[in-house]
This record gives sequence, structure tokens and C-alpha cells, in this order.
Amino acid sequence: MALLEINNLKMDFGKGADAARALDGLSLTIGAGETVCLVGESGCGKTVTALSIARLVPAPPAHYVGGEILLNGRNTLTMSARELQAIRGGVVSYVFQDPGASLNPVFRIGNQIKEALKPHRPARATDAEMIRLLKLVGISAPESRLKNYPFELSGGMQQRVMIAMALASEPRLLVADEPTTALDVTIQAQILDLLRDLKQRLGMAILLITHNLGIVGDMADRVAVMYAGQIVELSPAKELLRRPLHPYTQALMNSVPKLRGDVQRLSAIPGNVPRIGKFPPGCRFAPRCPVARPECSDKLPELIEVELGRWVRCPFWK
Amino acid sequence: MLKFVLKRLLHMIPLLLGVSLLTFLLMSLAPGDYFTTLLQNPQISPDTVARLKAQFHLDQPWYVQYFYWFKSVLHGDFGYSMAYKIPATSLIFARLWNTFLLSFVAMIMAWAVAVPLGIWAAVKKDSWIDRACSLIAFVGLSVPDVLLSLLALWFAAATRWFPVGGAQSPYYDLLTPMQQFWDRVHYLILPALVLAASSLAGIMRQMRSNLLDTLRAEYVTAARARGLGEGWVIWKHALRNAINPLLTIFGYSLASLLSGAFIVENIMAWPGLGRLTMEAFFAKDSYLVVDSVVMATALLVMGNFIADLLLAWSDPRIRLK
Amino acid sequence: METAAPQPNPVIEQPLSPWQLFWRRLKRRRIALAGGVILIGLYAVSLFAGFIAPYRYDRIDDRSFFHPPTPPRWQGFHLVMPRYEKGPGTFNYRAVLDDTKPVHFFVRGDKYKLFGLLPASIHLFGTGDPNYPVYLLGADQFGRDEFSRLLYGSQISLSIGVVGILLSFSMGMIMGGISGYFSGRTDMVIMRLCELIMSIPALYLIISLRAAFPPGMSSAKVYAMIVVILSFIGWASMARVIRGMALSFREQQFVLAARALGQTHLKIIVRHILPNTFSYVIVAATLSVPYYILGEVVLSFLGVGIQEPSASWGNMLTAAQNIEYLRNYPWLLAPGAAIFVTVLAFNFLGDGLRDAADAKSN
Repeated sequence: MALLEINNLKMDFGKGADAARALDGLSLTIGAGETVCLVGESGCGKTVTALSIARLVPAPPAHYVGGEILLNGRNTLTMSARELQAIRGGVVSYVFQDPGASLNPVFRIGNQIKEALKPHRPARATDAEMIRLLKLVGISAPESRLKNYPFELSGGMQQRVMIAMALASEPRLLVADEPTTALDVTIQAQILDLLRDLKQRLGMAILLITHNLGIVGDMADRVAVMYAGQIVELSPAKELLRRPLHPYTQALMNSVPKLRGDVQRLSAIPGNVPRIGKFPPGCRFAPRCPVARPECSDKLPELIEVELGRWVRCPFWK
Repeated sequence: MLKFVLKRLLHMIPLLLGVSLLTFLLMSLAPGDYFTTLLQNPQISPDTVARLKAQFHLDQPWYVQYFYWFKSVLHGDFGYSMAYKIPATSLIFARLWNTFLLSFVAMIMAWAVAVPLGIWAAVKKDSWIDRACSLIAFVGLSVPDVLLSLLALWFAAATRWFPVGGAQSPYYDLLTPMQQFWDRVHYLILPALVLAASSLAGIMRQMRSNLLDTLRAEYVTAARARGLGEGWVIWKHALRNAINPLLTIFGYSLASLLSGAFIVENIMAWPGLGRLTMEAFFAKDSYLVVDSVVMATALLVMGNFIADLLLAWSDPRIRLK
Repeated sequence: METAAPQPNPVIEQPLSPWQLFWRRLKRRRIALAGGVILIGLYAVSLFAGFIAPYRYDRIDDRSFFHPPTPPRWQGFHLVMPRYEKGPGTFNYRAVLDDTKPVHFFVRGDKYKLFGLLPASIHLFGTGDPNYPVYLLGADQFGRDEFSRLLYGSQISLSIGVVGILLSFSMGMIMGGISGYFSGRTDMVIMRLCELIMSIPALYLIISLRAAFPPGMSSAKVYAMIVVILSFIGWASMARVIRGMALSFREQQFVLAARALGQTHLKIIVRHILPNTFSYVIVAATLSVPYYILGEVVLSFLGVGIQEPSASWGNMLTAAQNIEYLRNYPWLLAPGAAIFVTVLAFNFLGDGLRDAADAKSN
């Protein structure tokens, strides 16, 4: 049994006539200890997918119309508020994009870490445990940090604190939603190193969300590429980087600057991600696709397994 | 922190100086003075009037008057009320106290109702309670203070439950201390209610939108992701942060509170600074007008200062930076 | 070569201009539109006040002190007004139901000037006979028709809001624009002045300013005085916000470009900086009109604004301050209801405009 199994998940924002489909038949599995990257431009539904795992998308407006999210074999979509509280932080923990915004500005660091320990491991909500956690994520002089307010720490330090809080109750799955986007480039590498190191030591699974294919190679076992509320390509990381199959993946890779080899022209993808509720008919990428054919706009292609472990939502992948 | 307090206190001095100068200038532009009407009285000789004018420095240019006024204020003496024929100091402070009492009680009432209602409306966004609150807010924002005061006056006269005007009974001095207290409460309730009702709507709407903002904040999602209960998330994380902008609003709302009090005092005959200002205005009792305006400004500036202190106390980002 | 050449990417969505987006969002807010419609109606009525009002604002009838409202009655298919006779006691009126006169439309009556220019004497409705008066909202302590005075009063009360806003906001925008654009010492002086004005509770400052004008001025002068006083106070808060915006625009490309082209400071402020603040200004103006209307009401109510016999909603309410009047003749509160409806409509409209201008709300 996989740790996380999302099956054919469909979610709308709004109800009735105002309903706009945000996730449309999304399926994804993550095994224990596996690292999966979820890649795509902003606005294609990565964050909503990630938040859905612990049902953190505010509902309303969110409205789940189909599918299931099995975490340890139990469907989070049907859980009571109490059961959800038990899995949030307990089984699945989150690290968000902007650590400055994710830490409450008016409470001390210690106060907030204690809050992460209390619901799941009340007996260990001690200073010693908090200091151990801060050491684990590489924060120097952890004793004095507990008394600090968030704004007194640097962005990188804040993100380390967020990771410490996420690790507080030893979750099986860590969801990191663009954990380095808001940080300086040098700090980005440190945080990614930290995540990789922690994963090896603690053996948890990671769902890493990013719009940057550059960090996929260092981190991921498998990669899922999302576009307009659907997965368009799912593949082992190394193979995907070596030979992307879907035109969208190819376009994404072309927009990553390469450090080695020939200096190519950096090509941005023309146009924008279609807005939620305004998905075009047929293949959703067709209007922006460089190799689209007229029939692409007629029928939505299926996600099919074209090689062992490689899934593509494009009939013309060859 | 101490430096912050001192800086703000020092900042008030030029402000109050500016206000007194401005009002003095405006009063000097006014045609005629208190003694102009006395000149028409055949029983008072022009010489007497001239002597009185000289006594009050009214025969001097306005900046000289200002100088004399300022000098005596430094000695804690706010001049002499020509119309009341008593020293202005005691008059001013009695009226200041009444205005403060009225505004303070009204403010407590308004916040005690508006803050919970605003929280309720935000947490139950788009429910019937939210809609009802928003309707109340619109009506409350649109009812003019003048109309509300007149309706209260009508209510008092029709039911005879409340006195129609004044701050205490005529036989106040004959009452026991306990009776005196209730007598004052009895006179205070209706004007305070009117003033509270007029400022309630704004605070409620502000509270609602602040809380909605913080409920959308990432740290609230992060707190939920930690497995905290919804009630705790709202109470600790959202509400605590929604208070900071509310304290800023508290500072701003004082200005409209004092203007509201001005109207309520004048219509409901509450002997406060606003009523005194109007009386002094009509009597051309110029020093008293200046005193009242300066006092009202001082009250507002002090209120804003307290709001800033509360904000610094509540928000570590301000306190520690 | 295949015949099916790669198609040009079809344009999915035509982007809308900011104004189109704004209008689309506004249309969805029915309550804001309702506020706008009410305001158009109120201003239209006030424009034709002399024509719609059955009487002149200063027409005194000494047989009608505190006359109660007299709704017309149906007699068959005709609207009629009964004659009223005085009963025993003070100001006790009784309708004589078998002695009536029909209500006519477009009747000849008191002379007035339409739009303040065209002499006219045709009124929308009336009986044409002073013995059969039409007092839709009753009469005041001088036997003047409350409804007619309400309409005449609306000309002052409604226009003063708009005139006041125009004056104070243009002043606020210019001062704020100058302050933010030049910064330095100019900025310091202007901002200290704003701070001074804003730190005096508004009504206390209004009364001090009023003291600088002589009492007993003509109505037109009082009107101008009220506008000047209210604008003197109102510009400060506007200037502060505009200054903040100007400060941020000052560093942006389009301003630097204009400066590089050698345009004058004034031109840059007026042409490049201020237009960028318009959406904020329109919303703020709509929400501020009520303060000017209420400012006039308070001044006139306290007896230092529009003077009798001219009618304004404020000085009409002064009569209601007398508790005996208020208890026995509650129709004297009619101007209060008119103020309420007007302010409510402005708040509805302003709130809708603010939401529609705020892109986040979509």
C-alpha cells in the first residue's frame, strides 16, 4: 500500500453555476520514503493539490466533487474535523513558500514550535525537545532563538524553523510547497541540502512542489508535471530530464537556463496558463503547443503509460 | 521604548502650540468681541468698556493677546471667561471631564458590541448573521448623529425613562454618594448610547475585514497544517493579529468620536466641551473658545498617543524595531 | 510538405481594459447600482425642486401652523384634497371630508425660477386654491409646507456635498501631488499643516473657522463659506494619501521618462502622477460626500450655517430640537429621513465602487 494515493480527484471552486474546475481527474501515488516532485507553472493547480492532501483548502469555496485521497489507506476527504487534526502534523506536515508569512509575526519562535509539538506529542513539548529540533535543522544557538520573534530571523533561518516545526511529530510525508522560492539563491541550496539530508536520516516521503525543473534532478525519485488541473506527464526523474515526452515538459525544460553545453536561446512558453474555469476544449495545452494539430482541440487526451513507469497525456508523444 | 514615548510626548508640544495659534488667529479675524454688545448698553459708559477691554488685552493685536494668554497658560491659568465671569480654568476642566466621560463610556459600549459582532460576522462569512451585520453597519453609518440624537430626545420625552438633557439632577447635592452615582449614570446612559451607536458600525466593519484578512494569511493555514483546532486557530492566530490594525483604527476613530460627542452634547444638553464651545462662540467669549479647542485637541492627541502605545505593546515588530 | 501548416495560436481571451473590468464588476453589485439610481433620482428631483414643490419655500400660511400631513384622497377616479378646519385646542386640524377640491397637475401657483434662471409659475401638482392646501409632509411652526422646503433644501444640501468634494479634492490632489513629487522642505511644511488640521477634532475646527466670518451674511455667501470651511478641513486627509501615491510613482519609469523629456514639474504632476490616482480618488470622493452633506447639516442645525427663511435640511431640523414640537409634530423629522436616505445611497454606491476598483475582490 502506497503512503499516499490520490485517485481521480476532482475539485471545483464555487458551486452550481459559478463552479470552476480547479483539479480535474488528478491521480498520484507516493510510496513510503519516496520523493516526488510536482512541477508546473504558477496557477496550474500544484498548491491546491498539495493542500488538498490534508484538506487545507478553505471550503467553501473549494468543493470536492469526485475521487479520493488515501493517506495510509484512509480517505481524507471523508474525515471528520477531529480526524483531520490528528493527521495534520501527525502524518503529513507542510512547509510553505514564504517563511516570513507562514510564521505568526506576534508570537515567539518557541511558542510556535511548542504548538507544533503539543497536539501530537504533548509529553515531549519541552524546551529540550525544541532545542533538539532546531539543532536538527542546523540552527546555531537554538536556546536563544526560542525567545526570538520571527522578524528577528533571516529568511533562511525562518524556513529552517518552519522545517523544524514540520518535523516536530515525525510525519511520514513532508509536503514542501516551493520552499526555496522566497529565499536568496545561496540559501536555496542550503535548504534543499537540508531537506535531502533529513530525508535520509528520518526516512520520510517528500512531495516537493516547484516550478523550477533545475532542482528536480538533485531531489526527486519521480516527477509529475501538472498543467491546468491535470497531470500531463509522470515519470522517473532521471528519464524525464534526459528525454521529456510531453510538449509542455519539453517547453518547460527549454525555459531552464543550462549552465553546461551550448548556450541556447532561452525560450519562454508563449501565452499564459488558462485560468481556472476557462480551460480550452480538447487538450488544454493545445493553444500554446508548438506542435499542436487541428484535432488536438477536439478531444481531451488520456494519460497513458507509454513505457514502463512513464505516463504521458499526449497521443503524439513520439 | 522610553525614547519612543518621550519623542511622541515632545512631538505634541509644537502641535498644541500650532493649534492654539491657529484658533487665536481665527478668533481675532472675527468681527467684534464680547464687549461690542456692552457698548450698546446705555448704563455702561464707553470708558468702562474700554477699561475692561484693556484689562483683557482685547485692545491689543492678536499676537500680543496670544502672548499674554500663553504666558498665563504656562502658569496653569487658562484666562477668564468674560461671559461666565469666572476663571476659565475650572470651567474648562469640568467640561473636559464631562466630554471625556461621555466619550469614554460610549467607546467602551461601542467596542464591547462591535468587536464580537465583527468577529462573528467574519467567522460566519456570507451567512445570514454576516448579512444582518452588514445591513446594520450600512444603516448605522448612514444615520446622521443629529437625527439619532433627536430620536433619543424624543424617546426620553415620550417614555420619561431618561432625563431630557443635563448631566445631573438639580437636587444632586442633596443626594447620598450612592444616589449621586446612580443619578449620574441615569443622566449619562442615553447620550452615551447615542454616541456609541454612531461609532459602532465603523468599528464592526473594520473588525470583520481585519479578521477576514488574517484568516486568509499564510500563518493561519500553517497553523491549521500543524493540526491545531479551528477554534484555537481563530482565537490565537487570527484574532491576535487582527487586533493590531484595530488599534490603529482606535486612534482614528477618536476624532470622529469627539465630533460625534460635539453634536450629542449640543442636542442633548450634555455640559461638555462641545457645548461650551458653542456657548462661548455665541457669546464671543474668545479666550474660552480657544481654551475649548485646545483642550479638545489635547484630548484627541493624548488618545492617539495611547493608541500608539497600545499598538507598540501589542505588536513586537513595532516595539523592538 | 504537409498542407496542414501549423496553425497560429488562436487568441483565447481578449483582455479587457481596466474600465471594462471595473464596470463588469460593478454591474454585479446590485446594491451599489440601487444606490446610484436613488442618487440620480434625488439629484433630478432637486434640480426641478421649484416645479415639483407645490409652494415656495418661504410661503407662510398663518392658518396652518403645525398642520399635519394631508395625503390626497381618492374620490372615484379623482384625487381630491379635503378642506381642513381648526378643531378645539391648539393646532388641532380636522378634515372636512365632504368639502373637497380635485388635485390638478400642472397648476399655476407661486412664482419661482426654474434652475434659478427661468421665471415660472407652473407646479407639478396642487389644488390651485389656498383654502385646500396640499401638505404632503405637514407644515412647520410658521405654516410653511415641509415637503416644499425639503425639496428646496435638497438643492443646498445635495449640491454642497459635490461642490465641497470638488474643491477639497482638487486642493488635496494638488497639494498631495506637490508634496510627494518635490519632497524635502515643501513636503515637510505641507504635511505638518495636514497634521495640524487633522489633529483638531473636526467640529471644533469648523466652529473656530466659522468664527472668522461675520454673522448675518447672505445665503449665497453662507453657502460659499460652508464650502470653504469644509474643504479647508477635508483636503488634508486627501493630500496625505495622494502624497504617498505620488512618492511611489515618482520613482517609476514613466515619470523618469517624462522628466528626461524635459517636461515641467507641473505638467508631470498633472499629466502623469495624478491620473494614476483617479480610481482611488473616485471611490474616496463618493464615500466622502456624506461628510460634506452632514457638515452643512450640523452647521445649519446649530444656527451658524444656512439662515432662515432659506431652507436646508440642517436648519429645518432645528425646529425638531424643541421637545414639545418633536413630541407633537414628528413630521418635523422628515429632513432627517432625507439625509439618511441620501447618505445611505452614497455609502451603497461608494462601497460597490471600492469593491469593483479592488482587483483582489474578483
